[in-house]
Amino acid sequence: MRVIFANLIAIYRRELQSYFASPFAYVIAGVFWLLSGFFFFAILLGPEGLIAQSALRDQMGVTGQPTDVPYQFLSFFLGTLSSLAMFILPMISMGLYAEERKRGTLELLATSPLTNWVVALGKWLGAITFFITLLLPLLLYQAIAVSASDPPASLTVMLLGHLGLVLLAGAILSLGMFVSSLTDSTILAAILTFGLVLVLWVIELVANSLVGPVGDGLKHLSLIKNYNTLTQGIFDSSSILVFVSYILLGLFLTAQSIEAFRFQRS
Amino acid sequence: MIEVEHLSKIYGSTPAIQDVTFSVEKGEILGFLGPNGAGKTTTMRILTGYLPASSGTARIAGFDVHENSMAVRRQIGYLPETPPLYTDMTVEGFLHFVARIKGVAAGDRIAQVENALKRCNLLEKRSVLIRKLSKGFRQRVGIAQAIVHDPPAIILDEPTVGLDPRQIIDVRNLIKSLAGEHTIILSTHILPEVSMTCSRVAIINRGRVVATNTPEQLMAELAGGDGYELEVAGNPAQLDWQIQQMPSLLPGVKSVEQIADESLPAEHFRLRVALEANLPDPGGEIAAAVVQAGLGLFEMRRTRVTLEDVFLELTTEEKVIDPEEMAQADERAKADTKAAPAEAVAVAEPVDLDNPEDPANAEPGDA
Repeated sequence: MRVIFANLIAIYRRELQSYFASPFAYVIAGVFWLLSGFFFFAILLGPEGLIAQSALRDQMGVTGQPTDVPYQFLSFFLGTLSSLAMFILPMISMGLYAEERKRGTLELLATSPLTNWVVALGKWLGAITFFITLLLPLLLYQAIAVSASDPPASLTVMLLGHLGLVLLAGAILSLGMFVSSLTDSTILAAILTFGLVLVLWVIELVANSLVGPVGDGLKHLSLIKNYNTLTQGIFDSSSILVFVSYILLGLFLTAQSIEAFRFQRS
Repeated sequence: MIEVEHLSKIYGSTPAIQDVTFSVEKGEILGFLGPNGAGKTTTMRILTGYLPASSGTARIAGFDVHENSMAVRRQIGYLPETPPLYTDMTVEGFLHFVARIKGVAAGDRIAQVENALKRCNLLEKRSVLIRKLSKGFRQRVGIAQAIVHDPPAIILDEPTVGLDPRQIIDVRNLIKSLAGEHTIILSTHILPEVSMTCSRVAIINRGRVVATNTPEQLMAELAGGDGYELEVAGNPAQLDWQIQQMPSLLPGVKSVEQIADESLPAEHFRLRVALEANLPDPGGEIAAAVVQAGLGLFEMRRTRVTLEDVFLELTTEEKVIDPEEMAQADERAKADTKAAPAEAVAVAEPVDLDNPEDPANAEPGDA
C-alpha cells in the first residue's frame, strides 16, 4: 500500500512538474485568465453588466421581484467559465498519454513496477491540480466581489459552484485522458476530446426531443444539466455522483486501454 | 538467471521471432547479435513484459515475465531502443523519478542516483535539462535510468547507438564493470562490440536463434578457425599435389584450398590453409613444405577469423547450426580432402564457375 502511494506521488509530481515546466501550459493559463477576467468584468461591472442593470432598474423605479445580484453573477460567471473550460481542458488532457507514447516513455512506465491504475490516477490528479491552480486567482476576486455585496452573499454557494466546476473539469480530463491513451498524436487527442465533450454537452437537447426512459436516461448524462444544478447552489448528490462516475469511467478505460495496447501493438 | 524457452511472437500472420531459446547465467553478459529486423527488440520487449509472447515462456530470476510481471519488473533495468526520457526534466530529477517508480527506498535514493550519475559520467550534466543534452549524453542518461535501482538483470537495446568512439569505449567499460553482480543482455549489430564486451553471444536471424556460444568458440567452430593465405608460383600439377599432401603431412593443417584470384600473374596461385584448433601453429612447416616442393613462396600471411565472418555466414546462408551436422560435415571434409577444395571454392565464389580459364575450376582429378 505504501509502495502504491509512493508511486502515485511520483507520477503526480512528475506530471505537475511537466505542466509548470512547459511554456504551453503558461499560454493556456494566460488565455484562461485573460478571458475569465474579461467575462468577470463584463458580467459584473460592464455597461451591460448586472450592477448597471439593477441600478438602471432602480432608477426607473421598477418594482416587483428584486434581483439577487451576487447569485445571478455567480451563476452567469460559472456558466461562462464552464464554456471556457470546455475549450481549455482538452488541451490540458491531450498530452497525458499521447506524449508518453510519442516519446517512448510509456515503455519506461510499462516496464516499471507500477500498475496502470496508479499511473492513470497520478496523471489525472496532476491535470486536475493544474486546473485548480488556474481557478485559484479567479476564486480570490470572486470572493471579494461576493462578500462586498450588501447583504453579504453566502460563500458556500460560491464554493459549491466551484466544486461543480472542478468535478466537471475532472470528468472532462478523465475522458480526455482516455482519448489521449488511444493515440500518439496530441492534436488528434485534443480534437477527439473536444468532440466527445461537445456531445456530452448537448446531449440534453437530444434528450429533450426524446420521450420515455431513453430521454430521461440521457438527460442524466448531460454534463451541463448536472453542472447547472451545482452552480445554483443545490447540493445534489446525484449530480455529484454522475461526475464521479465519469471520472471513474475515464480512469478505468484509460487503465484498460493501456493494458490492451500491450496486446495489440505491432 | 534469465531463461527463455521456445519463445515465439507473431504479429498478425508474420512471425517476429520463432522458437527462441537461450539462457543467461548470473553475472554473464549475453550479446544479442543480429541484422536489423531480426527480432532483437521484440525478444527484449517480451523479456521486460512490455509485449506478451504468442507462445513459449521466459523467466527472469525464476519469475515468469508474463504471469508475474510485477515481480519481474522489480528485477530488471531496461534501456529501450529509444531512451525513454522526459525531456523537460533535469538529469538528476529524472533519475530521482525513475528511482522512485522502481521502488528504491527513500533513504537510498540520493546515494543510488549519485552512483548512477558517477558510473555514467553524468556528474557535470546533473542539473541540465535533458532537452538540452546531445544524443550521446541522452543515451547515457538512458543507461543511467536502467541501472539507477541496481537491478539484478539489465537489458540494454543497442546501448552504444549514437555515441562517439570515445563514449562507446566508456559505455563498454561501464557494461563490463556491471557484469558479475548484474546479469546483462545487450543487443547490437556492431560486431566488435560483442567480442569486446560479451561473455556469450546469441546470433539471431529472421526471428530464429542460429547460434549461441562464446565469441571465441563461435569463431573457432563456424569459420574453421585461423589460417594462412599464401601466394605461390609453380606449375599447376605440382601445386595440386601439394594441396593433396599438406593436410596429411602436417598435423596442424586442417585443409588446403586453392582460391581464385585474377589479379595474380600467370602461374601464380593463391592458397588458403585452414588450421586445426588446439594444435601448435604449423606456420614454419607450411613455408618449408612449399619451398621444398619447388614452389615459389611470394606471400604468406595469417588470416584471423572475425566474428564478422561468423555473423555473415550465419545470417546470409540461413544456416542453423546443429552440432551433429557440423561433426558430419567435418568428417566428410576429412574423408574427401581431394574433392573438398573445389567444392568449397565453388560455394564461396559461384561466379568463377563461368570462367574456364580459372585454375579453381580444374577438375581435381585432372592432376
